[in-house]
Amino acid sequence: MINLIVLPILIPLLTAVLLIFFASKVKTQRWISAISALLNIGVAFSVVRKVFVDGIQILNVGSWVAPFGITLVSDMLSALLVLTTTIIGFAVILYSFSSIGKEREKYYYYALVQFLLVGVIGAFTTGDIFNLFVFFEVMLMASYVLLVIGGTKIQLRESLKYLTVNVISSALFVISVAYLYSVVGTLNMAQISERIGSLEEMPGILTVIAVLFLIVFGMKGAIFPLYFWLPGSYFAPPIPVMALFGALLTKVGVYSIIRTFTLFFFQDKDYTYELLMILAIITVVVGVIGSIAYWNIKKIIIYNIITAIGVILYGVSVATTTSFTGSILYLIHDMLIKAALFLLIGVMIKITGTSNLRQFSGLIKHYPGLAWTFFIAAISLAGIPPFSGFVGKLLVIQGGFTAEEYIGATIILLSSLLVLYSVMKIFIHGFWGVPKEYAKKESISYRALLFPIVLIITISVLYGIGSDYVYSYVSQAVQTLVNPELYIEAVLKE
Amino acid sequence: MKSSDVILQTTSKIVFFVILLFAIHLFFEGHYRPGGGFVGGLVTAGAIVLFLLAFDIKTVSILLPFDYKWVTAIGLLISILTAAGSIVFNVPFFTHTYDHFHLPLIGETSLHTAALFDLGVYLVVVGVTMTIIQTIGESE
Amino acid sequence: MFDTILYVVMAVLSISMVGFLYRLIKGPTVPDRVVALDAIGVILISMIAVFSMIMRTSAFLDVILLLGILSFIGTASFSKFLAKGVIFDRDRNH
Repeated sequence: MINLIVLPILIPLLTAVLLIFFASKVKTQRWISAISALLNIGVAFSVVRKVFVDGIQILNVGSWVAPFGITLVSDMLSALLVLTTTIIGFAVILYSFSSIGKEREKYYYYALVQFLLVGVIGAFTTGDIFNLFVFFEVMLMASYVLLVIGGTKIQLRESLKYLTVNVISSALFVISVAYLYSVVGTLNMAQISERIGSLEEMPGILTVIAVLFLIVFGMKGAIFPLYFWLPGSYFAPPIPVMALFGALLTKVGVYSIIRTFTLFFFQDKDYTYELLMILAIITVVVGVIGSIAYWNIKKIIIYNIITAIGVILYGVSVATTTSFTGSILYLIHDMLIKAALFLLIGVMIKITGTSNLRQFSGLIKHYPGLAWTFFIAAISLAGIPPFSGFVGKLLVIQGGFTAEEYIGATIILLSSLLVLYSVMKIFIHGFWGVPKEYAKKESISYRALLFPIVLIITISVLYGIGSDYVYSYVSQAVQTLVNPELYIEAVLKE
Repeated sequence: MKSSDVILQTTSKIVFFVILLFAIHLFFEGHYRPGGGFVGGLVTAGAIVLFLLAFDIKTVSILLPFDYKWVTAIGLLISILTAAGSIVFNVPFFTHTYDHFHLPLIGETSLHTAALFDLGVYLVVVGVTMTIIQTIGESE
Repeated sequence: MFDTILYVVMAVLSISMVGFLYRLIKGPTVPDRVVALDAIGVILISMIAVFSMIMRTSAFLDVILLLGILSFIGTASFSKFLAKGVIFDRDRNH
């Protein structure tokens, strides 16, 4: 079946269209979106298997051969990310059943989630730089509506900011693609890589383009000077949307940085990788400071996104096999665990009615399940063995030390402690202490809310314990990053 | 206030169909020359806007009883299914095909599956444009 | 000879376009601007027609039709807005 790798994009797209027809029937919508999400996990899994066995899969859309048409490319990195995305999508859809509210459900909420998944999965899969822009736009359109749907005051204010930032960065994206096109004369990523690779020395304009791409994707992925919009915008929407944004949208930016930097700008690493490294380290520091400074649980987790992005990009900027492996392991771990944490604090907010850490305590007495799930998520986030964050962070730091980049590696090591402190702060203040009386409402819905979280946490724990098994997959993904020739060969030479 | 746009109403009753014909012309023109579903859809939306101008929202919704969100969705469905049809034949996604047919009255014609895809685009454009215009027009 | 005439026509049209642009910017009232906009549409159509004569092609005829439709709808909606203050009536018999 040669169309296998387009299916993870096609299934959510078809589902989204179907859901528009059932806008008023909430029950039907729930069933359709859950079934399609489950189906998509299966398909994404078979793509991973296929790539693992047969190597990089490509699909020339519309039968136009590689450098002329649009090519979809599924290497191990994108296949793994697609699988993770589908899992998170499924969990968030389950979580939405009992938390998002009828009002939003009738206003195309589920269809928009599916459109968002189309954009994210498409961005992971495409092998054409302009097509990447198109999928970015699909994703952004869906996210604009998801951000504003419901129309509370804070949402409207933040969506204006979000919209402005993203429109500007999209314009910059097109400009930088145009620059790149004027230099290399093609939009196919593999051919761009081939042409840049055949140049004697990297012309200065390519460094400019690299920095432009870094700005564009950095704005989406929230790296240091460009993260300013994120804490505000992600704070506004309801919890499931926040989980989707936090787990997926920033990671698409990170993926694009990894893809473009390893495929296009691999020749002259002096300036671009150095810049990336400095920014990554500052991002870690800023994220950590934010996460320990705030007493609002939403803000704490949001700043932890920024820290994680810094760690991943540090691994990319070191650019050795070890550090790449660490980065990818950590990237997938972070997607899972961030989704779980957002959903967890959603449950806490639902129980206590506030997101201010100072106003509640002693949750463990009445909600032990919630407490222990949170505990596991928290220590996974900080990277304590044997949980999932450990191996990734270890390899990133090890890569940093072997490449003799001591400062960055040390800062990341220290940052883990502070990350642990920031989440343990929630655990100690929120779960321990004297239990307070909360308006006891719907304990059944609490169970329903906890189920998808336990699902993600289980997967993440398995991911941590089975690191050996996962490692063989990830190392295959790293091979493409270290040797762009593999990617070029798969796409251009049939 | 009673309205008496006699000239506008009489003109638009005729011009509506002229514009609609032009839209269909543009739609089929898109096969080998500039045109296609997108611009055809825009022109159709223009024709409907002219009716909205000359008459009112209530009359037009009796004349054209469509939910434009549904029109969008149906258009999307047609486009996606046309593209996905290639999966059945095990050729790459989005692959189109065509053949020559002898049709009564028109004669020798080449029929192309891309036209089906374009029909979807046409419906999406009409649907989205009219949804936007109605939303802006109604909120008072 | 014929081409020369066409170029002269082009120049005259351009000059009149500048005049309408002046009216569009200067005003002084909104109806002035609407009339100027409508006239600019007509001038644009004529310029495209002359241009396609110069190029000896019929490829731009669709563009002319399209512009004609758009400027007609535009002017109609502007006029209705000026006359009544609304563009779409909800129900004209009330």
